[in-house]
Amino acid sequence: MPLRELVLEGAGERDLTKLGEYREVGGYAALERALGMDPGKVIEEITVGTLRGRGGAGFPMGRKASLIAKGSPNPTYLVVNADESEPGAFKDRQIMGTVPHRLIEGCLITAHGIESRSVFIYIRGEYLHEFEVMRAALEETRGADLLGGITIVLHRGAGAYICGEETALLESLEGKRGQPRTRPPYPPITGLYASPTQINNVQTIATVPKIIELGGAEFAKIGPQNSPGTAVFSLSGNVVRPGNYELELGTSLRELIYDIGGGVAGGRELKAIIPGGSSVPVLTPEQLDTPLDFDSIAAAGSFLGSAAVMVIDDRCCMVQLALRVSKFYMHESCGKCTPCREGTRWLVQLLDRLEGGQGTQADLDLLDSVCARMLGRSLCALGDFAVYPVSSYMEKYRDEFQAHVDEAGCPFGGESSVEGILAPVDQHSHHKTVEVPA
Amino acid sequence: MSTPELVTVTIDDRAVQVPKGTGLVETALAAGVEIPVFCYEPRLGPAVGACRMCLVEVEGMPKLQAGCTLTAQDGMTVRTAQTSAKAADGQNATLEFLLVNHPLDCPVCDKGGECPLQDLTFRYGPGRTRMTFPKLTFDKPIPISPTIALDRERCILCYRCTRFSEGVSEDGELVTVNRGAQSMIATFEDEPYRGRFSGNVIELCPVGALTSTQYRFLARPWEIQNVPSVCGLCPVGCNIDVTTREGKVKRVLSRNHPEVDEGWLCDKGRFAFSHPHARDRITEPLRRVRRRGFEELSWDDAVDEAERMLRAAGTRIVTALSGSETIEQAYALGKLLRQGLGAHAAVLPEETSTALDALRLPLSAIRDAELVVVVGDQPVEERAPVVDLWLRAARRRGAEIVTIGPTGSIQTPPGSAPQVCRDLAAENNELGRRLRGGQRSIVIWSGPDGRGGEHIAALAHALGLADVAGSGAFYLPDTPNGRGVADAWSAVADGEPADPEPIALLIVSGDEAAANPGVRALAERAEMVLAITMFQGLAVGWADLVLPGTSYLERDGTYMNLEGRVQRLRRTVIPPAPDELAWLAKLAGRFGVELSPHPSLVFEDVSARLFGGLAFADIAATAALPTRAKAAPRPPLPEPEPQLGGDGLRLLRYRSLFSGAAVERVAELQFQRPAREVEISPEDAAAKGIASGNEVAVRHNGTSVALRATLNRRLAPGVVRIADEHAGDLGARVEVGRA
Repeated sequence: MPLRELVLEGAGERDLTKLGEYREVGGYAALERALGMDPGKVIEEITVGTLRGRGGAGFPMGRKASLIAKGSPNPTYLVVNADESEPGAFKDRQIMGTVPHRLIEGCLITAHGIESRSVFIYIRGEYLHEFEVMRAALEETRGADLLGGITIVLHRGAGAYICGEETALLESLEGKRGQPRTRPPYPPITGLYASPTQINNVQTIATVPKIIELGGAEFAKIGPQNSPGTAVFSLSGNVVRPGNYELELGTSLRELIYDIGGGVAGGRELKAIIPGGSSVPVLTPEQLDTPLDFDSIAAAGSFLGSAAVMVIDDRCCMVQLALRVSKFYMHESCGKCTPCREGTRWLVQLLDRLEGGQGTQADLDLLDSVCARMLGRSLCALGDFAVYPVSSYMEKYRDEFQAHVDEAGCPFGGESSVEGILAPVDQHSHHKTVEVPA
Repeated sequence: MSTPELVTVTIDDRAVQVPKGTGLVETALAAGVEIPVFCYEPRLGPAVGACRMCLVEVEGMPKLQAGCTLTAQDGMTVRTAQTSAKAADGQNATLEFLLVNHPLDCPVCDKGGECPLQDLTFRYGPGRTRMTFPKLTFDKPIPISPTIALDRERCILCYRCTRFSEGVSEDGELVTVNRGAQSMIATFEDEPYRGRFSGNVIELCPVGALTSTQYRFLARPWEIQNVPSVCGLCPVGCNIDVTTREGKVKRVLSRNHPEVDEGWLCDKGRFAFSHPHARDRITEPLRRVRRRGFEELSWDDAVDEAERMLRAAGTRIVTALSGSETIEQAYALGKLLRQGLGAHAAVLPEETSTALDALRLPLSAIRDAELVVVVGDQPVEERAPVVDLWLRAARRRGAEIVTIGPTGSIQTPPGSAPQVCRDLAAENNELGRRLRGGQRSIVIWSGPDGRGGEHIAALAHALGLADVAGSGAFYLPDTPNGRGVADAWSAVADGEPADPEPIALLIVSGDEAAANPGVRALAERAEMVLAITMFQGLAVGWADLVLPGTSYLERDGTYMNLEGRVQRLRRTVIPPAPDELAWLAKLAGRFGVELSPHPSLVFEDVSARLFGGLAFADIAATAALPTRAKAAPRPPLPEPEPQLGGDGLRLLRYRSLFSGAAVERVAELQFQRPAREVEISPEDAAAKGIASGNEVAVRHNGTSVALRATLNRRLAPGVVRIADEHAGDLGARVEVGRA
């Protein structure tokens, strides 16, 4: 199946970071059209288009907008979650870096739809280049008088994965410690500064102009019925051609990995697939024909998540991979709630012992038990995200875990490689500062 | 207010009816079921759901829910660990996780025996650990202030302390740093935690992470007694539990009176309890001996000596009262002197006004107010600290708080409070109009002393606040029991006081009176001085006879707080010398006055005259507030005071919360005492070329005091503020210049 570019459309041929070029390909026409529509009608189009959130949960954007508290004495805010931090995901980075105006246009249309005057884009701190691109694009938009009185604020995060969780993002944006809030109340009722707030992922908002352009009904015809539209898949790991590919939802894993990605690198054998970023349960090669859409991946026992597909070949030791992933979640656990704060550290300790060859059968049982006792008990999803990889690796590659106990060490010896799958946590790039012009 | 809708919730198969929206933890309690919690504490604001101790199963929800974040909805069916294996596993798991990195040093931990973590582990937790790795370690203990030690290893990160700091006292000094398992509590920038209410975090801590430096390793919960009493250090009268061990006070804890203190204490009330053990405590009667200083004398001789002094003075006696005496002590003194000797002259601790009785409200009404106007020169938090917390709570709830004074949201010069009252009472005053029209309007007078109670009552009456149930007025007095003392003194007899000249005998009752410059001036004119004080150095030197005084922690009796609430003090430890009532009763007998040494009997006598016969035994542990008086006087609006003429800046003195005889004698509180500084407005500082931190000289009429300047943006231009203890003899107009 060929690429189907809606969000990244035109970026391959032209420099769409420039306002002039973007307008030449029809940029901001959808905004003009939307401004001629009643705000309710804008949301209706999005609802009819069944645009499901591309941040991970797949919650329909239109339904979110319909939950916004009416008649609040406080202003309504639109917040864009650009704190893309899930290991394996780099789609928002490309969207902001190549089609910033499409995101801005989406913001302005959505703001009109929910009758908001203020938009905050919370950008991952490490995305310095993308921040600069966005800043330049926003300047151009402002200069061209396209904002129509709406304020768009670009806010850089300070390097915390948890701030991609929507309520932690709001806390951080308010200047507080980035920790999730207990829900309810949900952001549409009590969000930023205790005001009604629409919060969506970059790609979700960047898809909005296309819905207005095509009309919701027409958009809904793209891809499978319950997950229409496209997703930018971040393909990585042991694959020949890693990169971002925008495809219709419903494209199969096999097509993405083999037809588009060129298959497993070095002619090795496929061992495992992570379909939605490091936090989701792993899939096995037998599940290659699963269509990549929210419902099909869920039926296969995983999540589409942030559409970050990671290919794992047969050199990989799943215990090593679990340890690497677990270290990430231990590092990023915010510390607010008990199961996640304590459990993520305990998981690392157990996996480390197992990989080091000192693990016992009791440790293996304990690993199961710790996972089970963490799952579903944390304040936010991070606690579950830390468990899904470990518990699913253990479920599907149990023999490997058992072998670590039986052989008192890693059966892969020094041959295992998790390189190219996920960077170790201590290699995560740190937050860069911006030169402030004098 | 409309009656809230009742809903039925079933918890562990027990149906219970509660108002809709009641927290699930409270709902369960109403059904007799415990939902265990660590982080949940409604006084700290909305539930945060952090500790996950309260996990329960709710019908219709697939995952366990944090019970503390839920509210009662009709038809809700909830199962706790008692009836749900899943909930039991969830709670057990939470405790297992909490203990994974907890040091389990209970045998040497102060909290052991009164520790929620320990208790809940016994009830819901695993009996053995599965943790076989080295536990996380931190440097410990860290003194986050001279009064509080922090043990980060014991901390379970419930965030109660940081939420208190951020959302109750609003000092923002306690923070969380780092992330995940490395998260730890710290003070902002590692500065000492200097808040006025910092000690509350010790009590909020559900483990032994925050402990009192005064209490560390001194006692175990099974060898202490907690005596319910009332704090005697300011007019709020916070309810306290006094922990004693082997006849000594070891700590002071809050005892929640929801109308008075909501369970909060200021650091003075909490930490100043060790003053009775000060080295300069007077434990024996002392007599001045010419050229030899002082000598101790026996109690028999002391009572004889006192009798001799009283007989010699006859009616030419002046009694100076402190306002920290119990009602019974003041009454007993009055009975002896006024009934026994006809000596009616007294220096009362402060002016009091019965006019406020028609405007009475519990302090908690401030929290529920819509509009509060605070008038006056003195900072509320220095004078009646917990009132400041009520004001903050009100602001958080959306009330408008207007302060009118030299550091107010509306700036006025010192001494203009009477004028402000007149202005607010005027028909065309916008703020006054809103106070008048409101359903929950409160006015508060916070210094200067004198007739402030009358003035604020006059304003409140002019605004019609007496006729609105939720509206009223408060006067923040200078002394803890000034009203009670004054009322008791005047209730004794009807005799008209005549100022004796010369004064044959000055009786100085209490350390505050002994420290009062006005009283000292009287002493110069008196032929003899009899002082009742706790500490050397106050009256010793100029009193002819000094009888040992007692602390509020050592007395039985009653205090009346600023609301007009009569509260019980209980003797928590035996004083080192007979208490005042004991020797007063003896002395009274020699003058043919019948006086009981028992506070309960003295109170009966007072109560018949003042409190409608309220029985001593009927004063509840959390005392009730009398209803509003119907026939209270309605004073006229105050005449404005003439503004002080002259050049220079207007000096505003204030008495710091952390001052006075008790605070001065507690080593751990010295860091809290006011710095040697002069507060100056940015405008005046700029005009005089002074920057924050500069050494300056404050001059008045030949006197000069060297202080450090600090800029206060809230201070009105033309005014400088200095803590009393650093202001020396400076007058009302001063010059400030670089030293």
